Amino acid sequence: MLIFVQRLGRLIFVFFVVTFVTFFLLDQAPGDPAERFAGLNATPEVIEGIRAELGLNGSLLERYLRWLGNAVRFDFGDSIVTRGFSSWDLIRESLPKTLELMVLAEIMAIGIAVPLALASARRPGSFIDKASSSTAFGLLALPAFVLGIYMSFIFGVKLGWFPTIVDNLPGLNDDPLDNLRQMFLPSLTLALNLVAVYLRLLRSDLIETLQEDYVMLAQARGLSERRIMWRHVLRPSSLNFTTAVGLNIAGLIGGAFIIEVLFAINGMGRLVIQSVILEDFNVVAAVVAILTVAYVMMNFLVDVLYSILDPRIRHATR
Amino acid sequence: MPLVEPGPTGLKTETEAVAAIGHGNPGQKRRLGLTFWLSAGWIFTLVFLALFRDILPIRDPDELGIRTREVAKFESPGWNAFFGGDGQGRDMFARAVQGARPALILGLTVTIIGGILGSAVGVTSGYLRGKVDTVTTILIDIALAFPGLVLLISVRATFGNSMFVFIVLFSLTSIPGYARIVRGASFALSERDFVDAAEAMGATKRRIILRELAPNIALPVLSFAFIGFALVIVAEGGLAFIGLSLDQITWGKLIADGAGDIDKHAHVALLPATVMFLTILAFNLVGDSMRALYSPREVATQRRLRVGPMANTGGGDEVLYIDDLFTALHTPNGDVHAVDGVSLSLKAGEALGVVGESGSGKTMILRSIVGAFALADVTRTGTVEVAGVDMLRAEPADIKRTLGTQIGMVSQNPLTALNPVRLIEHQITEPMLVHTAMSKSEARARALELMQQVGIPAPERRLREYPHQLSGGMRQRVTIAIALANEPALLLADEPTTALDVTVQDQILRLLSELQRDRKMAMVLVTHDLAVVKGFTDRVAIVYGGEVIESGPTEQIFNNPRHRYTVALIQSMPNLDLPSHCELTTIEGTPPSLISPPRGCRFAARCPAAQDICNTTPPSADEASEHWFRCHFPAGDDAKGNA
Repeated sequence: MLIFVQRLGRLIFVFFVVTFVTFFLLDQAPGDPAERFAGLNATPEVIEGIRAELGLNGSLLERYLRWLGNAVRFDFGDSIVTRGFSSWDLIRESLPKTLELMVLAEIMAIGIAVPLALASARRPGSFIDKASSSTAFGLLALPAFVLGIYMSFIFGVKLGWFPTIVDNLPGLNDDPLDNLRQMFLPSLTLALNLVAVYLRLLRSDLIETLQEDYVMLAQARGLSERRIMWRHVLRPSSLNFTTAVGLNIAGLIGGAFIIEVLFAINGMGRLVIQSVILEDFNVVAAVVAILTVAYVMMNFLVDVLYSILDPRIRHATR
Repeated sequence: MPLVEPGPTGLKTETEAVAAIGHGNPGQKRRLGLTFWLSAGWIFTLVFLALFRDILPIRDPDELGIRTREVAKFESPGWNAFFGGDGQGRDMFARAVQGARPALILGLTVTIIGGILGSAVGVTSGYLRGKVDTVTTILIDIALAFPGLVLLISVRATFGNSMFVFIVLFSLTSIPGYARIVRGASFALSERDFVDAAEAMGATKRRIILRELAPNIALPVLSFAFIGFALVIVAEGGLAFIGLSLDQITWGKLIADGAGDIDKHAHVALLPATVMFLTILAFNLVGDSMRALYSPREVATQRRLRVGPMANTGGGDEVLYIDDLFTALHTPNGDVHAVDGVSLSLKAGEALGVVGESGSGKTMILRSIVGAFALADVTRTGTVEVAGVDMLRAEPADIKRTLGTQIGMVSQNPLTALNPVRLIEHQITEPMLVHTAMSKSEARARALELMQQVGIPAPERRLREYPHQLSGGMRQRVTIAIALANEPALLLADEPTTALDVTVQDQILRLLSELQRDRKMAMVLVTHDLAVVKGFTDRVAIVYGGEVIESGPTEQIFNNPRHRYTVALIQSMPNLDLPSHCELTTIEGTPPSLISPPRGCRFAARCPAAQDICNTTPPSADEASEHWFRCHFPAGDDAKGNA
């Protein structure tokens, strides 16, 4: 348990550092939001009033702490650009789409990578191994936006199977079929980059495990190959893999942003990019905070999963 | 940084770099393959075009075709314009070449600055360790945890989009990646002998870092640098794609501009995208080829179990019948003849000791019986029968059933013989559940019973524990319990006590022997220690260079050893009956190569009694007799061991 507390402590520390640094950087930006909010003909008094109203007065640390205090109650201030909307309103609108994209991508990636890695590792050097390894290597050289262009060209333009643009996305509950059809290409694009990383990692760990004594003994006990691969080999081989899933969450967020732009999904990525261009910094800070919390939580979940997978960690005293 | 993090090697880069330093094999010559040279050629071409764009006959990338009438709007790729034209008739080839400039400038400067700073941080942290290392590791962790794109976006919003800002920003974000790899490598290196030696000779820390560590870290860093170079191009492209990059033509921008026309004029986006893909691929391939230069080679062989012709079949009541068994492992260095014409047989209740040095092939005899060779490519010829089932040629299902119900196996190291992530209970009950009709609760009851029989206290509690919660001796008892689960007729024990504390060794041997006698099992006890077989076996086979060189009843082997190797083995045993000043003899030299075994007697090179014939003619033996040996000049009664 102590190890969880330590990990959680470190992750919370990450949250504070990330949000503070973002807050600090946004503060350095040229231009005064209060002035812009007030409009061209505002008197200094009016601007001062707006500044207080927007919470822009006081020292940096003061403002950060005030912001943090409000953030805990999901109050991230108003969007300065889209008047009448709070930052949280905008996020609540876009968050589910980004989340869906990331979850679908992660499911696809694991669903493709694990069986492929198992098939490759049990016969290293076989056709399936060579083919999947070279494909993975190629995929690693394809950034999300390049891969996305290829995918929409092949599956959207040439074959016409999936739309190249996500348009009027229905909720997953309202029309799951249309939703998934529209989200298929974006999620697969995001997933394929992960597949490459996961496949390579898992394959080499599986090969290592396959040479362990306990696997040899399992073979000597007359167990079937399928049983050996899934019950005896996969779990001890999936520790590095689990870490990689955790580490890649941050990368997944970045990748999701690019995919959102490419496929015109109104998610957090497009929201934050627009907000940066329009200098709507309340929204930017809010998105960073939400993403960091999501990142911290997902990493914590990975840690928990890790210790479920490896009893040695569960029982570690440290 | 997320943008710079998920590198082609993923998380493995660090571990691989470390592993490489651990096991690097300088003797093996490695060469850079064709893909390396193709990739290098592509990078060279790119650099050449970017450098000499102004001198070469390449159009102005911003010249509008609408004005010059040289390139049509959305012109298709062809001789006039290799990559066609964009929506304003601009030459896409010229634009792609122009886009190579920022990619290369950014990639090069960031790789150099980030690489040097990151390596400096990594080597200091990995070598000095202690507090410096703890702090650095935490900082690296945090840096890698940042939602990088968001950070890049906010910095970009604040400081603008000049090349200088990008170089500083990307350099800073690439430091943690380099630092992590170099830290791992220095950490491993600083434990190596040559660093210890330098320290012992009073070299300063600075000198050790520069003279001892840096040269060894250079290659891993350089190979990562190529991959890092590609990551910079990817990161810039990503920013450009979302409209936040440099104030000039870049590949990402070209792709983003063309993306809207993908349905009608796909070439505008596809061609720059392909240039970018090939460039990233080329850098990755160069980095990967360099990594292959220092990394241990992967298992390249394919797992295959091949079976050659059969020898004789057993007569009847043997539990184990091996006749003229040859086992060859096909490796990149040649075929290893691990078992070379071995014949053995065992009846119920009999215990056979198989004794030999490490590398003599004794373990491979056991592996050949059960057919478990990890990922090796193996051919077995001859006959192996267990309880009448041909273990080489029977139906796979029959072989599996025989393995599960007739054979129990105990391996050398109890620390590695149990699956670390599975409960003891599941490991014991599994063979019962798979091979018999037992229910879960029956199997559990039987597991409890077995745990008691092998002498594990508090078996109820132990069943619900994991291997790491047990001591070595207890774990070996568990592996014995698993081996006994389905009441096998044959027990195979591969050095069952070697990895255990001396105090536990005897307990385990007694346990095995008792179980074997009580249950009338046939047992093969493989060991390098003659003393172990003395009290616990009926017969002994001495193995050398993949062959059985002497075989007979245990008593006779000890009292009247005939083969010179057996004699030497017995003389090297500590003996409490002898006066304490008596010296133990050792056997000079090393066992023969199993890839190209000697033509004559395998022991000739180390034999004190060897004559010319020993080097040319293999000695024959009458394997039908009770006590036989392969020796031209056997030790007579006069040369009996001092046992």
